[in-house]
Amino acid sequence: MRSRVRWMGAMLLVVVGLATTMGVATPAGAARTTAAKTRTARLSGEITVSAAASLTEAFTRLGAAFQRAHRGTTVRFNFGASSVLAAQIQGGAPADVFASADGANMQKVVASHLVRSAPADFAANLLTIVVKKGNPKHVIGLADLANVGIVAECAVTVPCGKYAAQMLSQDGVSIPSSRVTLGQDVKATLTAVSTGDADAGIVYVTDAKSAAASVTQVKIPASLNVLAVYPIASLRSSQNTALAQAWVRYVLSSTGQKALAKFGFLPAPAP
Amino acid sequence: MTRRGRGVPLVAVPFAVVAVAFFVLPLVGLVQRAPWSDAWHDLTTPAARDALRLSLVCSLWSTALSIVFGVPLAYVLARTRFPGRALVRALVVLPLVAPPVVGGVALLYAFSVHNGLVGGWLHDVFGLQLTFSTTGAVLAETFVAMPFLVVTVESGLRSMDVRYEDAAASLGARPWTVFRRVTLPLVAPSLVAGATLAWARALGEFGATLTFAGNIQGRTQTMPLAVYLFLDTEPGTAIMLSLVLLAVSVVVLAALRDRWFGGIRES
Repeated sequence: MRSRVRWMGAMLLVVVGLATTMGVATPAGAARTTAAKTRTARLSGEITVSAAASLTEAFTRLGAAFQRAHRGTTVRFNFGASSVLAAQIQGGAPADVFASADGANMQKVVASHLVRSAPADFAANLLTIVVKKGNPKHVIGLADLANVGIVAECAVTVPCGKYAAQMLSQDGVSIPSSRVTLGQDVKATLTAVSTGDADAGIVYVTDAKSAAASVTQVKIPASLNVLAVYPIASLRSSQNTALAQAWVRYVLSSTGQKALAKFGFLPAPAP
Repeated sequence: MTRRGRGVPLVAVPFAVVAVAFFVLPLVGLVQRAPWSDAWHDLTTPAARDALRLSLVCSLWSTALSIVFGVPLAYVLARTRFPGRALVRALVVLPLVAPPVVGGVALLYAFSVHNGLVGGWLHDVFGLQLTFSTTGAVLAETFVAMPFLVVTVESGLRSMDVRYEDAAASLGARPWTVFRRVTLPLVAPSLVAGATLAWARALGEFGATLTFAGNIQGRTQTMPLAVYLFLDTEPGTAIMLSLVLLAVSVVVLAALRDRWFGGIRES
Protein backbone atom coordinates (compact mmCIF):
# COMPACT_ATOMS: atom_id res chain seq x y z
CA MET A 1 0.00 0.00 0.00
CA ARG A 2 2.65 2.45 1.06
CA SER A 3 4.98 1.56 -1.78
CA ARG A 4 2.11 1.98 -4.18
CA VAL A 5 1.55 5.52 -2.95
CA ARG A 6 5.24 6.27 -3.38
CA TRP A 7 5.19 4.76 -6.89
CA MET A 8 2.27 6.96 -7.86
CA GLY A 9 4.06 9.94 -6.43
CA ALA A 10 7.11 9.19 -8.55
CA MET A 11 4.95 8.81 -11.67
CA LEU A 12 3.27 12.10 -10.91
CA LEU A 13 6.67 13.76 -10.57
CA VAL A 14 7.73 12.40 -13.95
CA VAL A 15 4.54 13.56 -15.62
CA VAL A 16 4.68 17.01 -14.05
CA GLY A 17 8.38 17.28 -14.88
CA LEU A 18 7.73 16.39 -18.50
CA ALA A 19 4.82 18.77 -18.66
CA THR A 20 6.85 21.67 -17.35
CA THR A 21 9.76 21.05 -19.70
CA MET A 22 7.36 20.97 -22.62
CA GLY A 23 5.67 24.12 -21.48
CA VAL A 24 2.28 22.52 -20.80
CA ALA A 25 0.90 22.79 -17.32
CA THR A 26 -2.54 21.17 -17.51
CA PRO A 27 -2.92 17.51 -16.49
CA ALA A 28 -4.74 16.76 -19.75
CA GLY A 29 -1.88 18.23 -21.73
CA ALA A 30 0.55 16.26 -19.62
CA ALA A 31 -1.19 13.00 -20.50
CA ARG A 32 -1.16 13.84 -24.17
CA THR A 33 2.49 14.81 -24.26
CA THR A 34 3.61 11.67 -22.47
CA ALA A 35 1.58 9.62 -24.93
CA ALA A 36 3.43 11.13 -27.87
CA LYS A 37 6.78 12.24 -26.55
CA THR A 38 8.27 12.89 -29.96
CA ARG A 39 5.56 15.29 -31.15
CA THR A 40 6.21 18.98 -30.41
CA ALA A 41 4.05 20.67 -27.80
CA ARG A 42 0.79 21.96 -29.19
CA LEU A 43 0.29 25.67 -28.59
CA SER A 44 -2.78 26.58 -26.63
CA GLY A 45 -4.15 29.18 -24.26
CA GLU A 46 -3.78 32.91 -24.58
CA ILE A 47 -1.21 35.66 -24.26
CA THR A 48 -1.33 39.44 -23.97
CA VAL A 49 1.05 41.39 -26.15
CA SER A 50 1.79 44.94 -24.99
CA ALA A 51 2.71 46.74 -28.18
CA ALA A 52 3.52 50.28 -29.30
CA ALA A 53 0.47 52.16 -30.63
CA SER A 54 2.09 52.41 -34.07
CA LEU A 55 1.88 48.60 -34.34
CA THR A 56 -1.91 48.61 -33.95
CA GLU A 57 -2.88 47.77 -37.54
CA ALA A 58 0.07 45.50 -38.36
CA PHE A 59 -0.10 43.46 -35.15
CA THR A 60 -3.88 43.16 -35.28
CA ARG A 61 -3.55 41.60 -38.74
CA LEU A 62 -0.60 39.43 -37.69
CA GLY A 63 -2.51 38.27 -34.61
CA ALA A 64 -5.46 37.10 -36.70
CA ALA A 65 -3.09 35.20 -39.03
CA PHE A 66 -1.28 33.65 -36.06
CA GLN A 67 -4.55 32.48 -34.52
CA ARG A 68 -5.60 30.90 -37.81
CA ALA A 69 -2.27 29.07 -38.00
CA HIS A 70 -2.51 27.90 -34.38
CA ARG A 71 -6.12 26.99 -33.66
CA GLY A 72 -7.06 27.24 -30.00
CA THR A 73 -4.71 30.10 -29.21
CA THR A 74 -5.73 33.65 -28.41
CA VAL A 75 -3.42 36.64 -28.81
CA ARG A 76 -4.70 39.75 -27.07
CA PHE A 77 -3.18 43.18 -27.56
CA ASN A 78 -2.64 46.10 -25.28
CA PHE A 79 -1.70 48.99 -27.55
CA GLY A 80 -0.39 52.25 -26.14
CA ALA A 81 2.59 54.53 -25.82
CA SER A 82 5.69 52.37 -25.24
CA SER A 83 6.62 54.42 -22.17
CA VAL A 84 3.22 53.77 -20.61
CA LEU A 85 3.40 50.06 -21.49
CA ALA A 86 6.89 49.81 -19.95
CA ALA A 87 5.61 51.47 -16.77
CA GLN A 88 2.65 49.06 -16.72
CA ILE A 89 4.97 46.06 -17.06
CA GLN A 90 7.23 47.41 -14.31
CA GLY A 91 4.12 47.86 -12.20
CA GLY A 92 3.26 44.18 -12.59
CA ALA A 93 0.77 44.27 -15.46
CA PRO A 94 0.13 40.74 -16.71
CA ALA A 95 1.75 40.94 -20.16
CA ASP A 96 3.51 38.08 -21.97
CA VAL A 97 5.33 39.98 -24.71
CA PHE A 98 6.53 43.58 -25.01
CA ALA A 99 7.05 45.24 -28.40
CA SER A 100 8.44 48.75 -27.97
CA ALA A 101 8.83 51.58 -30.48
CA ASP A 102 12.25 52.40 -29.07
CA GLY A 103 15.19 50.81 -27.33
CA ALA A 104 15.04 53.06 -24.26
CA ASN A 105 11.71 51.77 -22.99
CA MET A 106 12.71 48.16 -23.69
CA GLN A 107 15.91 48.82 -21.70
CA LYS A 108 13.82 49.98 -18.73
CA VAL A 109 12.09 46.60 -18.71
CA VAL A 110 15.38 44.75 -19.26
CA ALA A 111 17.00 46.67 -16.40
CA SER A 112 14.15 45.60 -14.10
CA HIS A 113 14.97 41.96 -14.98
CA LEU A 114 11.54 41.44 -16.47
CA VAL A 115 12.40 39.99 -19.90
CA ARG A 116 12.89 36.27 -20.41
CA SER A 117 15.36 36.48 -23.28
CA ALA A 118 17.39 39.25 -24.86
CA PRO A 119 15.20 41.62 -26.95
CA ALA A 120 15.41 41.28 -30.73
CA ASP A 121 14.91 44.18 -33.15
CA PHE A 122 12.09 43.25 -35.52
CA ALA A 123 11.18 46.40 -37.45
CA ALA A 124 12.09 50.01 -38.14
CA ASN A 125 10.04 53.06 -38.95
CA LEU A 126 10.51 56.62 -40.22
CA LEU A 127 8.73 59.82 -39.33
CA THR A 128 6.56 61.71 -41.76
CA ILE A 129 4.42 64.84 -41.86
CA VAL A 130 0.66 64.38 -42.16
CA VAL A 131 -1.62 67.22 -43.19
CA LYS A 132 -5.30 67.65 -44.01
CA LYS A 133 -6.47 65.74 -47.06
CA GLY A 134 -5.26 67.54 -50.19
CA ASN A 135 -2.69 69.61 -48.26
CA PRO A 136 -4.67 72.89 -48.17
CA LYS A 137 -1.84 74.75 -46.38
CA HIS A 138 0.72 73.63 -48.96
CA VAL A 139 3.16 72.14 -46.51
CA ILE A 140 6.28 71.06 -48.40
CA GLY A 141 8.74 70.21 -45.68
CA LEU A 142 9.72 70.39 -42.04
CA ALA A 143 10.56 74.10 -42.19
CA ASP A 144 6.91 74.91 -42.99
CA LEU A 145 5.82 73.48 -39.63
CA ALA A 146 7.25 76.57 -37.91
CA ASN A 147 4.43 78.69 -39.36
CA VAL A 148 1.48 76.56 -40.34
CA GLY A 149 -1.04 76.88 -37.49
CA ILE A 150 -1.51 74.08 -34.99
CA VAL A 151 0.98 71.22 -35.19
CA ALA A 152 0.27 67.88 -33.52
CA GLU A 153 3.26 66.14 -32.02
CA CYS A 154 3.63 63.28 -29.59
CA ALA A 155 4.62 64.29 -26.07
CA VAL A 156 8.37 63.87 -25.55
CA THR A 157 7.60 61.20 -22.96
CA VAL A 158 6.55 58.75 -25.68
CA PRO A 159 8.89 57.43 -28.40
CA CYS A 160 7.26 59.20 -31.37
CA GLY A 161 7.63 62.51 -29.52
CA LYS A 162 11.23 61.78 -28.60
CA TYR A 163 12.07 60.93 -32.22
CA ALA A 164 10.23 64.03 -33.48
CA ALA A 165 12.05 66.32 -31.03
CA GLN A 166 15.37 64.74 -32.05
CA MET A 167 14.58 65.25 -35.73
CA LEU A 168 13.40 68.84 -35.34
CA SER A 169 16.44 69.82 -33.33
CA GLN A 170 18.92 68.13 -35.68
CA ASP A 171 17.23 69.89 -38.60
CA GLY A 172 17.11 73.24 -36.80
CA VAL A 173 13.32 73.60 -36.91
CA SER A 174 11.63 75.11 -33.88
CA ILE A 175 7.86 75.30 -33.48
CA PRO A 176 6.54 77.66 -30.77
CA SER A 177 5.07 75.54 -27.96
CA SER A 178 1.91 77.66 -28.00
CA ARG A 179 1.05 76.05 -31.33
CA VAL A 180 1.96 72.47 -30.50
CA THR A 181 -0.71 70.10 -29.25
CA LEU A 182 0.76 67.05 -27.55
CA GLY A 183 -0.65 63.58 -28.14
CA GLN A 184 -0.31 60.85 -25.49
CA ASP A 185 0.55 58.39 -28.23
CA VAL A 186 1.03 58.43 -31.97
CA LYS A 187 -2.62 57.56 -32.66
CA ALA A 188 -3.82 60.56 -30.63
CA THR A 189 -1.40 62.75 -32.60
CA LEU A 190 -2.76 61.39 -35.88
CA THR A 191 -6.36 61.92 -34.74
CA ALA A 192 -5.63 65.58 -34.01
CA VAL A 193 -4.99 65.99 -37.75
CA SER A 194 -7.48 63.50 -39.21
CA THR A 195 -10.49 64.39 -37.03
CA GLY A 196 -9.41 67.49 -35.17
CA ASP A 197 -8.28 70.82 -36.51
CA ALA A 198 -4.52 70.47 -36.27
CA ASP A 199 -3.01 71.62 -39.57
CA ALA A 200 -0.07 69.25 -39.53
CA GLY A 201 1.28 66.43 -37.45
CA ILE A 202 4.43 64.37 -37.09
CA VAL A 203 3.73 60.65 -37.01
CA TYR A 204 5.29 57.43 -38.27
CA VAL A 205 5.18 56.57 -41.97
CA THR A 206 3.14 53.49 -41.06
CA ASP A 207 0.43 55.57 -39.35
CA ALA A 208 0.19 57.89 -42.34
CA LYS A 209 -0.14 54.81 -44.55
CA SER A 210 -2.97 53.26 -42.54
CA ALA A 211 -4.79 56.59 -42.34
CA ALA A 212 -4.27 57.41 -46.02
CA ALA A 213 -8.04 57.79 -46.44
CA SER A 214 -8.20 60.73 -44.04
CA VAL A 215 -4.81 62.49 -44.23
CA THR A 216 -2.22 63.37 -46.84
CA GLN A 217 1.42 62.54 -46.29
CA VAL A 218 4.30 64.95 -46.86
CA LYS A 219 7.45 62.84 -46.91
CA ILE A 220 10.54 63.79 -44.94
CA PRO A 221 13.74 62.92 -46.82
CA ALA A 222 15.86 60.19 -45.23
CA SER A 223 18.74 62.60 -44.68
CA LEU A 224 16.57 64.73 -42.37
CA ASN A 225 14.73 61.80 -40.79
CA VAL A 226 15.44 59.61 -37.78
CA LEU A 227 15.12 55.83 -37.77
CA ALA A 228 12.89 54.31 -35.09
CA VAL A 229 13.96 50.76 -34.26
CA TYR A 230 11.43 48.39 -32.63
CA PRO A 231 12.60 45.64 -30.24
CA ILE A 232 10.47 42.72 -29.01
CA ALA A 233 10.93 40.35 -26.06
CA SER A 234 8.93 37.76 -24.17
CA LEU A 235 8.46 38.60 -20.51
CA ARG A 236 9.41 36.72 -17.38
CA SER A 237 5.95 37.16 -15.89
CA SER A 238 4.36 35.17 -18.72
CA GLN A 239 2.15 32.27 -17.69
CA ASN A 240 2.37 30.83 -21.18
CA THR A 241 6.01 30.98 -22.19
CA ALA A 242 5.61 28.60 -25.12
CA LEU A 243 2.98 30.77 -26.77
CA ALA A 244 4.80 34.01 -25.92
CA GLN A 245 8.01 32.76 -27.54
CA ALA A 246 6.08 31.39 -30.52
CA TRP A 247 4.62 34.87 -31.07
CA VAL A 248 8.07 36.48 -30.94
CA ARG A 249 9.39 33.89 -33.43
CA TYR A 250 6.37 34.51 -35.66
CA VAL A 251 6.98 38.27 -35.74
CA LEU A 252 10.64 37.68 -36.63
CA SER A 253 9.82 34.97 -39.22
CA SER A 254 9.65 35.74 -42.95
CA THR A 255 5.82 35.58 -42.75
CA GLY A 256 5.77 38.18 -39.98
CA GLN A 257 8.34 40.40 -41.66
CA LYS A 258 6.41 40.32 -44.95
CA ALA A 259 3.23 41.36 -43.17
CA LEU A 260 5.02 44.21 -41.38
CA ALA A 261 6.51 45.40 -44.67
CA LYS A 262 3.01 45.51 -46.13
CA PHE A 263 2.09 48.08 -43.47
CA GLY A 264 5.11 50.22 -44.33
CA PHE A 265 7.59 49.01 -41.71
CA LEU A 266 11.23 48.73 -42.71
CA PRO A 267 13.38 45.75 -41.78
CA ALA A 268 15.34 46.29 -38.58
CA PRO A 269 18.95 47.34 -39.26
CA ALA A 270 21.48 44.53 -38.78
CA PRO A 271 23.00 44.74 -35.28
CA MET B 1 -39.25 60.24 9.29
CA THR B 2 -35.48 59.92 9.35
CA ARG B 3 -33.73 56.60 9.84
CA ARG B 4 -30.75 56.63 12.15
CA GLY B 5 -27.77 54.24 12.39
CA ARG B 6 -29.68 52.06 14.86
CA GLY B 7 -31.59 50.27 12.14
CA VAL B 8 -28.54 49.11 10.13
CA PRO B 9 -28.18 45.31 9.97
CA LEU B 10 -24.80 44.09 11.20
CA VAL B 11 -24.03 42.34 7.93
CA ALA B 12 -23.84 45.70 6.18
CA VAL B 13 -20.94 46.90 8.32
CA PRO B 14 -18.08 44.85 6.81
CA PHE B 15 -19.24 45.76 3.29
CA ALA B 16 -19.33 49.41 4.24
CA VAL B 17 -15.84 49.15 5.73
CA VAL B 18 -14.49 47.58 2.52
CA ALA B 19 -16.16 50.31 0.50
CA VAL B 20 -14.59 53.02 2.65
CA ALA B 21 -11.16 51.36 2.37
CA PHE B 22 -11.63 51.22 -1.40
CA PHE B 23 -12.04 54.99 -1.50
CA VAL B 24 -9.46 55.85 1.13
CA LEU B 25 -6.56 53.63 -0.03
CA PRO B 26 -5.96 55.41 -3.37
CA LEU B 27 -5.94 58.74 -1.51
CA VAL B 28 -3.42 57.45 1.00
CA GLY B 29 -1.38 56.03 -1.88
CA LEU B 30 -1.25 59.41 -3.55
CA VAL B 31 -0.43 61.32 -0.37
CA GLN B 32 2.38 58.96 0.68
CA ARG B 33 4.03 59.29 -2.75
CA ALA B 34 3.85 63.08 -2.71
CA PRO B 35 7.27 64.75 -2.67
CA TRP B 36 6.38 67.21 0.10
CA SER B 37 9.87 68.70 0.36
CA ASP B 38 9.76 69.74 -3.31
CA ALA B 39 6.07 70.59 -3.29
CA TRP B 40 6.56 74.29 -3.91
CA HIS B 41 9.09 73.71 -6.67
CA ASP B 42 6.89 71.10 -8.36
CA LEU B 43 3.88 73.41 -8.35
CA THR B 44 5.77 76.42 -9.68
CA THR B 45 7.40 74.96 -12.79
CA PRO B 46 6.26 76.92 -15.86
CA ALA B 47 4.09 74.06 -17.09
CA ALA B 48 2.47 73.56 -13.68
CA ARG B 49 1.83 77.29 -13.30
CA ASP B 50 0.28 77.43 -16.77
CA ALA B 51 -1.90 74.45 -15.93
CA LEU B 52 -3.06 75.94 -12.63
CA ARG B 53 -3.85 79.28 -14.22
CA LEU B 54 -5.65 77.72 -17.20
CA SER B 55 -7.68 75.40 -14.99
CA LEU B 56 -8.81 78.29 -12.85
CA VAL B 57 -9.68 80.55 -15.80
CA CYS B 58 -11.40 77.86 -17.88
CA SER B 59 -13.41 76.39 -15.00
CA LEU B 60 -14.65 79.83 -13.87
CA TRP B 61 -15.63 80.79 -17.40
CA SER B 62 -17.43 77.52 -17.86
CA THR B 63 -19.27 78.01 -14.56
CA ALA B 64 -20.34 81.48 -15.66
CA LEU B 65 -21.59 80.13 -19.01
CA SER B 66 -23.38 77.31 -17.19
CA ILE B 67 -25.21 79.85 -15.01
CA VAL B 68 -26.08 82.22 -17.85
CA PHE B 69 -27.54 79.47 -20.04
CA GLY B 70 -28.31 76.76 -17.51
CA VAL B 71 -30.57 78.73 -15.15
CA PRO B 72 -33.01 79.80 -17.90
CA LEU B 73 -32.99 76.24 -19.23
CA ALA B 74 -33.73 74.83 -15.78
CA TYR B 75 -36.51 77.40 -15.40
CA VAL B 76 -38.08 76.42 -18.70
CA LEU B 77 -37.82 72.72 -17.87
CA ALA B 78 -39.34 73.17 -14.43
CA ARG B 79 -42.13 75.63 -15.18
CA THR B 80 -43.43 74.95 -18.65
CA ARG B 81 -44.96 72.01 -20.44
CA PHE B 82 -44.21 71.44 -24.07
CA PRO B 83 -44.10 68.39 -26.29
CA GLY B 84 -40.73 66.70 -26.15
CA ARG B 85 -39.78 68.14 -22.77
CA ALA B 86 -38.74 64.71 -21.49
CA LEU B 87 -36.50 64.32 -24.52
CA VAL B 88 -34.91 67.73 -23.99
CA ARG B 89 -34.23 66.87 -20.38
CA ALA B 90 -32.68 63.54 -21.38
CA LEU B 91 -30.43 65.28 -23.91
CA VAL B 92 -29.31 67.82 -21.32
CA VAL B 93 -28.47 65.12 -18.82
CA LEU B 94 -26.68 62.97 -21.42
CA PRO B 95 -23.20 64.48 -20.80
CA LEU B 96 -23.56 63.39 -17.16
CA VAL B 97 -23.51 59.73 -18.15
CA ALA B 98 -21.79 59.68 -21.55
CA PRO B 99 -18.01 59.09 -21.58
CA PRO B 100 -16.34 62.53 -21.83
CA VAL B 101 -14.20 61.37 -24.77
CA VAL B 102 -17.40 60.69 -26.68
CA GLY B 103 -18.49 64.21 -25.78
CA GLY B 104 -15.21 65.54 -27.16
CA VAL B 105 -15.63 63.63 -30.42
CA ALA B 106 -19.22 64.86 -30.74
CA LEU B 107 -18.05 68.44 -30.13
CA LEU B 108 -15.47 67.97 -32.89
CA TYR B 109 -18.11 66.94 -35.38
CA ALA B 110 -20.10 70.02 -34.46
CA PHE B 111 -17.43 72.71 -34.13
CA SER B 112 -14.34 71.50 -35.96
CA VAL B 113 -13.35 73.89 -38.74
CA HIS B 114 -12.85 71.02 -41.19
CA ASN B 115 -15.32 68.34 -40.12
CA GLY B 116 -17.84 70.18 -37.97
CA LEU B 117 -21.49 70.90 -38.73
CA VAL B 118 -21.18 74.60 -37.89
CA GLY B 119 -17.43 74.90 -37.22
CA GLY B 120 -16.55 75.76 -40.82
CA TRP B 121 -19.27 78.39 -40.94
CA LEU B 122 -18.17 79.94 -37.63
CA HIS B 123 -14.64 80.12 -38.98
CA ASP B 124 -15.58 81.62 -42.35
CA VAL B 125 -18.10 84.16 -41.04
CA PHE B 126 -16.63 85.15 -37.67
CA GLY B 127 -13.04 83.94 -38.03
CA LEU B 128 -13.67 81.84 -34.94
CA GLN B 129 -11.78 78.61 -34.35
CA LEU B 130 -12.87 76.78 -31.21
CA THR B 131 -10.73 73.65 -31.54
CA PHE B 132 -7.27 73.83 -29.98
CA SER B 133 -8.12 77.15 -28.34
CA THR B 134 -8.74 78.19 -24.76
CA THR B 135 -12.33 78.97 -25.79
CA GLY B 136 -12.56 75.36 -26.93
CA ALA B 137 -11.36 74.14 -23.55
CA VAL B 138 -14.02 76.31 -21.88
CA LEU B 139 -16.64 74.89 -24.24
CA ALA B 140 -15.63 71.29 -23.55
CA GLU B 141 -15.77 71.92 -19.80
CA THR B 142 -19.15 73.64 -20.09
CA PHE B 143 -20.49 70.69 -22.06
CA VAL B 144 -19.83 68.28 -19.19
CA ALA B 145 -20.41 70.74 -16.32
CA MET B 146 -23.64 72.55 -17.20
CA PRO B 147 -25.87 69.46 -16.72
CA PHE B 148 -24.93 69.45 -13.02
CA LEU B 149 -26.22 72.99 -12.69
CA VAL B 150 -29.37 72.42 -14.73
CA VAL B 151 -30.33 69.29 -12.81
CA THR B 152 -29.68 70.89 -9.41
CA VAL B 153 -31.47 74.15 -10.15
CA GLU B 154 -34.40 72.37 -11.79
CA SER B 155 -34.93 70.16 -8.76
CA GLY B 156 -34.69 73.26 -6.56
CA LEU B 157 -37.36 74.98 -8.65
CA ARG B 158 -39.60 71.94 -8.48
CA SER B 159 -39.40 71.59 -4.72
CA MET B 160 -40.08 75.31 -4.27
CA ASP B 161 -43.50 76.46 -3.19
CA VAL B 162 -44.97 78.03 -6.34
CA ARG B 163 -47.62 79.89 -4.33
CA TYR B 164 -45.05 82.64 -3.67
CA GLU B 165 -44.72 83.14 -7.42
CA ASP B 166 -48.48 83.04 -7.84
CA ALA B 167 -48.94 85.61 -5.08
CA ALA B 168 -46.40 87.97 -6.63
CA ALA B 169 -47.99 87.58 -10.06
CA SER B 170 -51.48 88.18 -8.69
CA LEU B 171 -50.21 91.40 -7.15
CA GLY B 172 -49.23 92.55 -10.62
CA ALA B 173 -45.56 91.63 -10.86
CA ARG B 174 -44.37 90.84 -14.39
CA PRO B 175 -42.81 87.41 -15.06
CA TRP B 176 -39.30 88.90 -15.12
CA THR B 177 -39.85 90.67 -11.78
CA VAL B 178 -41.30 87.48 -10.27
CA PHE B 179 -38.28 85.53 -11.45
CA ARG B 180 -35.80 88.11 -10.21
CA ARG B 181 -37.41 89.07 -6.89
CA VAL B 182 -39.13 85.85 -5.81
CA THR B 183 -37.91 82.76 -7.66
CA LEU B 184 -34.19 83.50 -7.76
CA PRO B 185 -33.82 84.25 -4.02
CA LEU B 186 -35.79 81.10 -3.17
CA VAL B 187 -33.65 78.81 -5.37
CA ALA B 188 -30.39 80.54 -4.41
CA PRO B 189 -29.20 77.57 -2.33
CA SER B 190 -29.76 75.20 -5.27
CA LEU B 191 -28.07 77.65 -7.58
CA VAL B 192 -25.01 77.88 -5.33
CA ALA B 193 -24.86 74.09 -5.01
CA GLY B 194 -25.34 73.57 -8.75
CA ALA B 195 -22.77 76.17 -9.70
CA THR B 196 -20.22 74.75 -7.29
CA LEU B 197 -20.75 71.21 -8.56
CA ALA B 198 -20.48 72.44 -12.13
CA TRP B 199 -17.28 74.28 -11.29
CA ALA B 200 -15.75 71.21 -9.64
CA ARG B 201 -16.70 69.07 -12.62
CA ALA B 202 -15.22 71.61 -15.04
CA LEU B 203 -12.02 71.72 -13.01
CA GLY B 204 -11.61 67.95 -13.33
CA GLU B 205 -12.59 67.70 -16.99
CA PHE B 206 -10.16 65.60 -19.02
CA GLY B 207 -11.54 63.53 -21.90
CA ALA B 208 -13.62 66.08 -23.75
CA THR B 209 -10.97 68.79 -23.37
CA LEU B 210 -8.19 66.54 -24.64
CA THR B 211 -10.21 65.35 -27.62
CA PHE B 212 -11.72 68.68 -28.59
CA ALA B 213 -9.23 71.30 -27.48
CA GLY B 214 -5.99 69.33 -27.60
CA ASN B 215 -3.09 69.52 -25.22
CA ILE B 216 -1.27 72.82 -25.75
CA GLN B 217 0.74 74.19 -22.85
CA GLY B 218 -0.55 77.59 -21.78
CA ARG B 219 -3.57 77.35 -24.03
CA THR B 220 -5.55 74.18 -23.42
CA GLN B 221 -3.35 72.10 -21.11
CA THR B 222 -5.40 72.21 -17.89
CA MET B 223 -4.40 70.45 -14.68
CA PRO B 224 -5.87 67.01 -15.45
CA LEU B 225 -4.15 67.01 -18.85
CA ALA B 226 -0.87 68.07 -17.27
CA VAL B 227 -1.20 65.31 -14.67
CA TYR B 228 -1.61 62.72 -17.39
CA LEU B 229 1.28 64.06 -19.44
CA PHE B 230 3.75 64.51 -16.58
CA LEU B 231 3.14 61.18 -14.89
CA ASP B 232 6.16 59.65 -16.67
CA THR B 233 8.65 62.51 -16.73
CA GLU B 234 7.79 64.68 -13.75
CA PRO B 235 5.84 62.48 -11.34
CA GLY B 236 6.35 65.06 -8.58
CA THR B 237 4.47 67.73 -10.50
CA ALA B 238 1.79 65.23 -11.55
CA ILE B 239 1.19 64.11 -7.96
CA MET B 240 1.17 67.64 -6.55
CA LEU B 241 -1.32 68.81 -9.19
CA SER B 242 -3.48 65.76 -8.44
CA LEU B 243 -3.45 66.65 -4.76
CA VAL B 244 -4.47 70.22 -5.53
CA LEU B 245 -7.40 68.89 -7.55
CA LEU B 246 -8.36 66.51 -4.74
CA ALA B 247 -8.05 69.19 -2.07
CA VAL B 248 -10.36 71.45 -4.06
CA SER B 249 -12.88 68.61 -4.37
CA VAL B 250 -12.77 67.94 -0.65
CA VAL B 251 -13.34 71.61 0.15
CA VAL B 252 -16.25 71.75 -2.31
CA LEU B 253 -17.86 68.62 -0.85
CA ALA B 254 -17.44 69.88 2.70
CA ALA B 255 -18.92 73.25 1.81
CA LEU B 256 -21.88 71.63 0.07
CA ARG B 257 -22.51 69.03 2.75
CA ASP B 258 -25.57 70.73 4.15
CA ARG B 259 -27.00 72.12 0.94
CA TRP B 260 -26.61 69.09 -1.28
CA PHE B 261 -26.60 66.06 0.99
CA GLY B 262 -28.82 67.64 3.59
CA GLY B 263 -31.35 68.22 0.84
CA ILE B 264 -31.33 64.54 -0.02
CA ARG B 265 -31.79 63.47 3.58
CA GLU B 266 -34.76 65.70 4.18
CA SER B 267 -36.66 64.87 1.03
